[in-house]
Amino acid sequence: MSHNMAWRGLWPWLCAASVALSLLLLGLLLALLLSRGLGHFWPAPLEAVTLTSGETFAGEAIREAKLPDQPGHERLYFIGNRDSSEHDPHGARFRWINLETIAQRDTSARLVRLSRSPWGDFIGRLEALEQGGQRLEGDAAWQALSQALAQPENTRPDAQLMLQPLNGDAFMQPLEEVYRASRPNAMTWLAKVRYWGTGVGQFLSQGPRAANTGGGVWPAIFGTVVMVIVMSVIVMPFGVLAAIYLNEIAEQNRFTRLVRIGVRNLAGVPSIVYGVFGLGAFVYGIGSTLDEWFFSARLPSPTFGTGGLLWASLTLALLTLPVVIVATEEGLARIPDAQREGAVALGATRLETLTRVVLPMAAPAMLTALILAVARAAGEVAPLMLVGVAKLAPQVPIDATFPYLHLERKFMHLGYHIFDTAFHGDSMQAAIPLVYATALLLVLIVLVLNLTAIFLRHYLRRKRGQPC
Amino acid sequence: MTPPQKLQGTQPLRQFQDRLATCVIVVGAMAVLAAILAIGVFLVWQSLPVLFIPLETTVAKLSVLAWGTLKAALATLLFAIPVALCAAVYTALYLPARWRSRIKPALEMMEAVPGVVVGFIAGVILAPWIEQHLASALALLIWPPLSALLAGLLWQTLTPHRLPFSQAWLWLIPWLLAMGWLALWAAPLIEHQLLGDDLRRLLETRLGVDYATRNALIVGMAMGFAVVPGIYALADDALSEVPTSLLEGAQALGADRWQTLWRVALPAAGPGIFSAVLIGAGRAVGETMIVLMASSNAALTSASPFEGMRTIAAAVAIELPEAAPMSSTYHLLIFAALVLFVFTFLVNTLAEVVRLRLRTRLQRRGGGA
Repeated sequence: MSHNMAWRGLWPWLCAASVALSLLLLGLLLALLLSRGLGHFWPAPLEAVTLTSGETFAGEAIREAKLPDQPGHERLYFIGNRDSSEHDPHGARFRWINLETIAQRDTSARLVRLSRSPWGDFIGRLEALEQGGQRLEGDAAWQALSQALAQPENTRPDAQLMLQPLNGDAFMQPLEEVYRASRPNAMTWLAKVRYWGTGVGQFLSQGPRAANTGGGVWPAIFGTVVMVIVMSVIVMPFGVLAAIYLNEIAEQNRFTRLVRIGVRNLAGVPSIVYGVFGLGAFVYGIGSTLDEWFFSARLPSPTFGTGGLLWASLTLALLTLPVVIVATEEGLARIPDAQREGAVALGATRLETLTRVVLPMAAPAMLTALILAVARAAGEVAPLMLVGVAKLAPQVPIDATFPYLHLERKFMHLGYHIFDTAFHGDSMQAAIPLVYATALLLVLIVLVLNLTAIFLRHYLRRKRGQPC
Repeated sequence: MTPPQKLQGTQPLRQFQDRLATCVIVVGAMAVLAAILAIGVFLVWQSLPVLFIPLETTVAKLSVLAWGTLKAALATLLFAIPVALCAAVYTALYLPARWRSRIKPALEMMEAVPGVVVGFIAGVILAPWIEQHLASALALLIWPPLSALLAGLLWQTLTPHRLPFSQAWLWLIPWLLAMGWLALWAAPLIEHQLLGDDLRRLLETRLGVDYATRNALIVGMAMGFAVVPGIYALADDALSEVPTSLLEGAQALGADRWQTLWRVALPAAGPGIFSAVLIGAGRAVGETMIVLMASSNAALTSASPFEGMRTIAAAVAIELPEAAPMSSTYHLLIFAALVLFVFTFLVNTLAEVVRLRLRTRLQRRGGGA
């Protein structure tokens, strides 16, 4: 019996531990994303490593691990220089080095890291800068390079850099392919912070470079935002109309109850099912018909008969319809009937009651509905894989040529960018820091949207004096 | 007061506007209804050609996918149900309302984390780590619950009723963190002492167990993370809807918290908890991105937790964009999506009906409280 009593006392601890565990996991996930996502932009120190075999190379130490099957540790170096590494014909940019084979490590202040467009990062020494027959060497070359990179991209001088990798022959590098340069070992703390800031800024404002291992995610942010806006424009009117119908116009009978249960259940239908519907009905159904009618000149290459912005937005609009209806209806149901009766008693028609009394009172609920729908749509990836997302879209969906908003174009999406870069990149190892950063961005967007919705709801309930 | 003449002048216009608006609302609502029905009609219509595909092909293809889906869902629920239900019991019955209203939204934030991010962490970061540190991963699964019990034991013996139990969750966070670290530190030592070799290699060489990097264990953990908040929120609602008069009555009759929980709260909220689990199962069955990224996507019918699977949702996401429209694969995949649709719709309807019934019953029992 006493054994039983002890067990009873301990059992609630498991319950408390589940709460603690869930919060801990969420916190760890956010901490991991924050540290890896933001840490990637911090200028890491570079090392010139000399091996016992006499070989030297320059790189950034990433992490250490135990050697498999034997004692000792090894360290992973990022060495970059995909175009010039002689020892590695496959152009591998990472190397595991057994710690015991390292003879000397040197953090020389003159090591340079250049971010370049086709070949990824270069780590080594900057020997000289040649510009119009003039040749600058050493520190002067570095000064000239920093000045050139400070100018806007189209006004940079036409120059050649002479680069010296530690493990290969010197080569010439056109300046136009370089977009960033740093000497992390020589940087002050303040300079590092500034470098980090510009790194984050470039991540948010530039397109991907060097097979998604560099540059930023601007087209994906842009595509996600445009898609979400088009989706909101479609879903909000219909969702609100349906909610008004269910709550204000229809008789409350078996039919409306059935519809309500149906709508609620749609929220639980897997998103991939909506994707299937979007592909079959919108893309292959409506899209190919539109192509035959209006774009027959361009066939067989499809215009609307393939995935695109419009179909993706429509599919997500269907997906978020239940969210909007449920949240709006909740707001409508909270408005006391006395308000409506008062309006009708004063001679208002149904339309006037709606527009002057009910809808203004339900506006915050509709805002909540919009935010929840946007949050749901921004994080959803599975249906987009079927209806129009692209790995790398050559054109953004809005530009200066008529009709400005190109609904038939494929677009990039933050969530799909994560999936694609993490799983289909040719150099996953090099791309993962940027995937972390992208994931952090996506999580932040979705969490902030959700938090706003929660606070809005909380505030509303409190204003009406109802318990939360 | 409005002059009567003016009112008469605008009356037909107002009436007309009112009718027009009503029409617009009704048409809009009917359009929404039609769109919703269209999903079902489309899926059924497009899967009809499956009838003309030889039955063996259909069964052979779908049985593997169904097996994978059930395996993934089962692995998920195995992780999610204990955590979610325990957390719900704690917040509904042990936490004061002030804390509960803060912790609940925090836990629901877990659901907002996009599946693709969870899948990335699980598939790209967690899976390779667990492959190399299997013993540590298992220790991390087993040790924290035990350490929570240990914490309870210490608490009872060392600090008799000095600190309120309602804040235990807060103290348990650093405790679990420390214990997790301890498990990570101790597991390789114990593994080395006890087994003398790497656990995964032993599994492979001695027992002949195939170990896939992305397996059911990983899928279960990752999807469990995504499903916990859904189950938790509904179970917590169900438990806190149990009228306080019932709980107080039980305690007045001399029942302790444990007895109140098992004899009164859980039976009363049972259907609600059941529907919470059903909704969680529906979510686990339909989740796409996490399974896609954290499982091997190999079409296997093995029950081993160390092997992967291919679920219906993942198969549709991978194969449908590549299937030629109107081909037999295309129709088969649409049929698979229909199965998913019908299954989740039925499960959710059942859950909803059970939940609504329970709510009216409890309201009656609590005297409308």
